[in-house]
Amino acid sequence: MSAVARSIRPFASRVLSQKLPLVGVRTVSPAAGFPRVSVRSFSQSPFLEVKKYTESHEWIELADDGKTAKIGITEYAAKSLGDVVFVELPEKDLEVVAGEAVGAVESVKSASDVLSPVSGKVIRGNKILDDKAKFINESPEAEAWIAEIDVNDPAELDSLLDAKAYKESIAEE
Amino acid sequence: MRPLRQGSSCLLSSLQTPVWSSRAFHPVFVRYNSSFSSDQFAQLASRESSKHQIYQSFSTDPYVNLSIEHFLLEHAPSDSNILFLYINQPCVVIGRNQNPWLETNLLALQNDREPNAPGNRDNSALFVRRRSGGGAVYHDEGNLNYSVISPRTAFTRNKHAEMVVRALHRIGATTTSVNDRHDIVMSTGQAQPRKISGSAFKLTRHRALHHGTCLLDSPNINRLGSFLRSPARDYIKAKGVESVRSPVANVSSVFEDAMMPFSTDQVIARVVEEFARMYQVDADAVRRAQRAHTLEPELYAGGTWVVGAVGERHGYGEPAVKKGIDELTSLEWKYTQTPQFTFSTYPTEDDPRERPILPSSLPPSTRVFLRLKHGAIIESHISTADDTSVATEQAARVHQVLNGRKLHEMSLPQWRAVLLNQLKVEGNVLEELAKFIGGKLGLDTRS
Repeated sequence: MSAVARSIRPFASRVLSQKLPLVGVRTVSPAAGFPRVSVRSFSQSPFLEVKKYTESHEWIELADDGKTAKIGITEYAAKSLGDVVFVELPEKDLEVVAGEAVGAVESVKSASDVLSPVSGKVIRGNKILDDKAKFINESPEAEAWIAEIDVNDPAELDSLLDAKAYKESIAEE
Repeated sequence: MRPLRQGSSCLLSSLQTPVWSSRAFHPVFVRYNSSFSSDQFAQLASRESSKHQIYQSFSTDPYVNLSIEHFLLEHAPSDSNILFLYINQPCVVIGRNQNPWLETNLLALQNDREPNAPGNRDNSALFVRRRSGGGAVYHDEGNLNYSVISPRTAFTRNKHAEMVVRALHRIGATTTSVNDRHDIVMSTGQAQPRKISGSAFKLTRHRALHHGTCLLDSPNINRLGSFLRSPARDYIKAKGVESVRSPVANVSSVFEDAMMPFSTDQVIARVVEEFARMYQVDADAVRRAQRAHTLEPELYAGGTWVVGAVGERHGYGEPAVKKGIDELTSLEWKYTQTPQFTFSTYPTEDDPRERPILPSSLPPSTRVFLRLKHGAIIESHISTADDTSVATEQAARVHQVLNGRKLHEMSLPQWRAVLLNQLKVEGNVLEELAKFIGGKLGLDTRS
């Protein structure tokens, strides 16, 4: 019932900030959009899902050490923001609380904060983005991560969205 | 979102009750009780039922207006639609990720760095960095700012510029339209349309803020470009966002030969109406909004709406507004928020442009290079000697002193002192070099 309701909602009401071609979203199948989750979650303990998402369109991926994590914005966010022209990276040792800004991006005259999904301490920002902000549009969920942080409590990731729940949350918008 | 203030919901419910519940039975009672002192602003704006809000500011202080706007972005209900109109005193407002040394003529602006600089005369403009993206713009009393804050899901970058265009068409400015940069332009018979309005956006998790300038009747239309032209533009290469220069015009210019006089109040009234139509605002709210005089700081509220005049300079004692004002006026925000940049008098790998010829008062071998991060010097090469090894020594000595210094804190006497002690050159060259550097960086070099 809700799936039907969703599919008939006008697409324009679902995009974040500008209209996208419908095909752009259709191609984000779970397999194409989030390949790393489906592969890697099997190699982790059942309580630790490697990559999680927020409703505000950030992702966080815990490294194999179970302590450090990379943070970035989702493909959906990168597409809806349009061409990214500047990324404000966090400084090393910045202490962030979950929900606080760990960086910011500017695209098409729009400033948006990147919120940290969990609390922790910044190890480094991704220097590649200093010289090439547009890289965010090319590889938002892989090489164009924004910050690497030392996670205070890996259990904080448990309450975040998994790939499936995130995908459902963007379908509702 | 955290609650604004302990106990505010208590206060509100006592205020709201007569307005809603007795509406049908005691219309007169409702009218008297729907008026609030403007110090209720924070509570009314963040009230869960305030779905439609229309405000005009009686302040011309850009820090106050931007901070009220930011408060509305952060604290109004996430499904509300808000229109906020304000007019600022003369100021140059740069985008969040811009460079003031590159985008503005700092010397002509009240720049907080030098108390007696020409820019600090009464008739000059303030220098402001806003929180939204985009490029540098000039504001004065002939420029109307419109700001629409709405849910992010239904937001597009053009919808509110188009709303303003509909309002402009209704007052007779029928050649206005939205261009592909989300700005409003006006055809004036010349080959290139003139820009009359620039847009910028700030997006949060649930909300989208679109604010725009609108040059209605600026008395400074012919000189506003001079505030936006930096003496260092040939030398600075900056990360971040560069402005796109456009020829501008006043909306009033198309009324010069018309029978109807141009009126800013007419524009404001039509913008309010178009906003109300777009978001189906209660007719009572629109009537109140149109009557709200910006000299009377009073608010009106119905069950689902708030309208009226705001702009108290201390932010109504509301800590969130006060904090916003403090942040915007801080030198950290104005200067050290600047993305990385270089200043160089010679072509470099990063910035291979040919440079202008140095003043003849300086030795042709003079080299000035600065690299800045967060507004602080992290690398430099300043030398005058022709001989490479002497030049390298000069540069190393100067850098020892400059390293880590914040550029906006460097006055002309400080530049002189650094050069005098480290360069070991004759007084005349030293003075000329200090003036050259200071002049390019917007310092007053007359003394």
